[in-house]
Amino acid sequence: MKKKMKVVLFALLTFAIVVVAGCSGGASSSNNGESEDVKQDITYAATSDVVGLSPIDTNDSVSTAMIGQIYETLFTRNPETMEIEPLLAESYETPDENTWEIKLKEDIKFQDGTDFNAEAVKYTFDQFKDPERAAPRASLLEPVESVEVKDEYTVVIKTKYPYGPLLAALSHQNASIVSPTADKEGDINSEPVGTGPFVFEEWVQGDRVTLKKNPDYWQGEPTLETVTMKVVPEYSTAVSMLETQEVDFIDGVPSEQLSRLESIDSVEIQKREGTPVYYLGFNMEKEPFNDLEFRKAVAYAVNTGEYVDQLKGLGIQNDSIIGPKVFGYKEEAKDAGYEYDPEKAKQLLKDNGYADQKITLLAANTGSYMKMAEIVQAQLSNVGLNVEIESMEWGTFLDTTAQGNFEMTFLGWTNSTADGSELLYPNLHSDNIGSSNRMRYNNPEFDKLVEESRTSVDQSVRLEKLNQANLVAIKDAVWIPMNHGVVSAAYDKSVKGLEMDPTGTWSLYNVSRE
Amino acid sequence: MIGLIIRRFFQLVLLLIGISFIVFMSMYLAPGDPASVIGGPTASESDIAAIREDLGLNKPVLVQYFDYMKNVVQGNLGYSFQTNQSVSDAIFTRFPNTLNLAIASMVVAVILGVSAGIISAIKQNSWFDISSTTVALAGISIPNFWLGTMLILLFSVTLGWFPVGGLNAPFYTIEGMKQLILPAITLGTASAAMIARMSRSTMLEVIRADYIRTAKAKGVKQKTVIWVHALRNAMIPVITVIGMNFGALLGGTIITEQVFAINGVGRLMIDAIAARDFPMVQGTVLLVAALFVVVNLIVDIIYSVIDPRISYD
Repeated sequence: MKKKMKVVLFALLTFAIVVVAGCSGGASSSNNGESEDVKQDITYAATSDVVGLSPIDTNDSVSTAMIGQIYETLFTRNPETMEIEPLLAESYETPDENTWEIKLKEDIKFQDGTDFNAEAVKYTFDQFKDPERAAPRASLLEPVESVEVKDEYTVVIKTKYPYGPLLAALSHQNASIVSPTADKEGDINSEPVGTGPFVFEEWVQGDRVTLKKNPDYWQGEPTLETVTMKVVPEYSTAVSMLETQEVDFIDGVPSEQLSRLESIDSVEIQKREGTPVYYLGFNMEKEPFNDLEFRKAVAYAVNTGEYVDQLKGLGIQNDSIIGPKVFGYKEEAKDAGYEYDPEKAKQLLKDNGYADQKITLLAANTGSYMKMAEIVQAQLSNVGLNVEIESMEWGTFLDTTAQGNFEMTFLGWTNSTADGSELLYPNLHSDNIGSSNRMRYNNPEFDKLVEESRTSVDQSVRLEKLNQANLVAIKDAVWIPMNHGVVSAAYDKSVKGLEMDPTGTWSLYNVSRE
Repeated sequence: MIGLIIRRFFQLVLLLIGISFIVFMSMYLAPGDPASVIGGPTASESDIAAIREDLGLNKPVLVQYFDYMKNVVQGNLGYSFQTNQSVSDAIFTRFPNTLNLAIASMVVAVILGVSAGIISAIKQNSWFDISSTTVALAGISIPNFWLGTMLILLFSVTLGWFPVGGLNAPFYTIEGMKQLILPAITLGTASAAMIARMSRSTMLEVIRADYIRTAKAKGVKQKTVIWVHALRNAMIPVITVIGMNFGALLGGTIITEQVFAINGVGRLMIDAIAARDFPMVQGTVLLVAALFVVVNLIVDIIYSVIDPRISYD
């Protein structure tokens, strides 16, 4: 008996030793160490896979990140000045309010050898607008009436009405120009072809996307040889992989991972004031949420500063709905809201008969929404409101809120065009009740100002109209901005030249490894 | 035996039809619209309507179901709503990873579970017995998610023995084994614990049986009694547990795949559910159901090999 046991124990022990010994030899294979010639490769970890690699057919942030390395837009927003500058375009003119004549850069080729010209631009935008194609972001070019080829390098875009944010829309990643040849002959969702610095190599669905440098890139070849995007669904796993150098770079750092990342010596963290905004909103078609006095009371009761403190520098407090990095923001909007004052809130609730009011806060169980809900629940309970949280999975949440089946909820908007019209129109204009205007806000004065901001092509007029519209919505307390976003990335110290864009995207063109 | 396999095959077909109908209807009835998930919060009403039209979601649900089944019968599991990729391609590129993970976990579970169970039973109430039953209880209770994260922190980040995540090298290479070990331990621990408890209790029952006492009375060596007479008889219920666990492992790799960034069927399924990618959900659920049935069939066949008294004809 004893002998038997010894044998079994011995077998187990041997097994364990063999397993461990067999596996401990050699360091992590992707760790290059401090060798002289550093491989110019970079691996980025994304929490989900790309949906596709066609700018026309996708609308999610991971796809956009990779699309931005392969394709280019006619215009781009300078991340420093936030001004719009030509990229594939050379210059533009507006002979009249509804006409935009865009001159294109010459001698640029797509990665498949197709010429980049006015035909390609027309083809891309026609596809984008084609109802058959069902582009998820078709609304971006909804005001465009037609796109015509004037000559080889000139396109004329006619709009249905004067459309001020057109250049902002054209600098949106979804409006990237695709190779007509590649799109006609194949599926650019799985075999993308653009004019950008990196060429598509491989997409192993669910696992990784690999790009390699475009040696013929028109602005000169990039330093990086290959770019790999690895799918790592669990953020804490991605942080571990960054620590062991299995990946080199992650973005969208959640505040709860910040201190761990800061404690890793080999990792650098970049934070930058960005365009996203996260808010607490009211269903404007339900009582008592449609009563301004009630909303004011909630606004007085909510201390957004307390929430922003918990974000540890990954969020900014500002009363304005249009964020400081978004076109349409003016300094006067910063403190235009209702400053935290729980006594005032209690008084307002009492005066209007809302003391002990029962509220359900709806929160999607993703991102920071649950954290927001918990903090706001505590703060509202402090002024006597009876608050419950209902949490929901994202797909269900989107449907429920679009249908207006909620009382108060939390949501965000990334502002990818960094233009205030593209924030206020979809989210708060009465045209969009039932879809993106989830709060069902309907204020004719506000609607008019937003329309004017869209239909003027004079940027100073647009700025003023947006500011006014912003102030109206802030005073109406339809959204209480919980925080304005800080875009962030954490990367290995050997990664040089990575610059975050305020919209949360980044370009790897100027990146190198040291 | 042949009769059993044929019978099971027909049961499988019926079962899959039933499951496909239930899954189809529950996806349809569940809140959340695939078009609004694809469009995201930025899509306008007309964008979403165009996507719905494009996906054929405007047709009556029964028509959608019959269209779907018509294709399935012809061997076409349909195309993903999200990526437009063929569902069978998506499943078959990921299935080997899930299968590797499930088999490796089962190996871990069987080796640890059966040996711990048998030793515990033979040495009932010894220190080994007490500590192994305690560990087994802990093994059942520890959530995979936590265990996986802790193993990564200890063995990958601190000690640097294994890579943190990914599974792309073949399992028979050193690299592939390194990638498999932590996920296999994470996933196999709970099963190991269950198997240990089961083997201990059946073994205890068997060694008290009359024929064991008779064997001992006849002077048969302890070793022979345990290995030849007891073990084989004790294994039948254990094999049931192993079989059930293996089926569950194949369908239950989701969390381990998430934590270790393994591109498997579990993750495909959970992503598909989140994205309301109906054809992909259908395809993955049908696969898991079919596997479960097949594994059970194999278990039944093994029974009759171990215990010749069991016959299906």
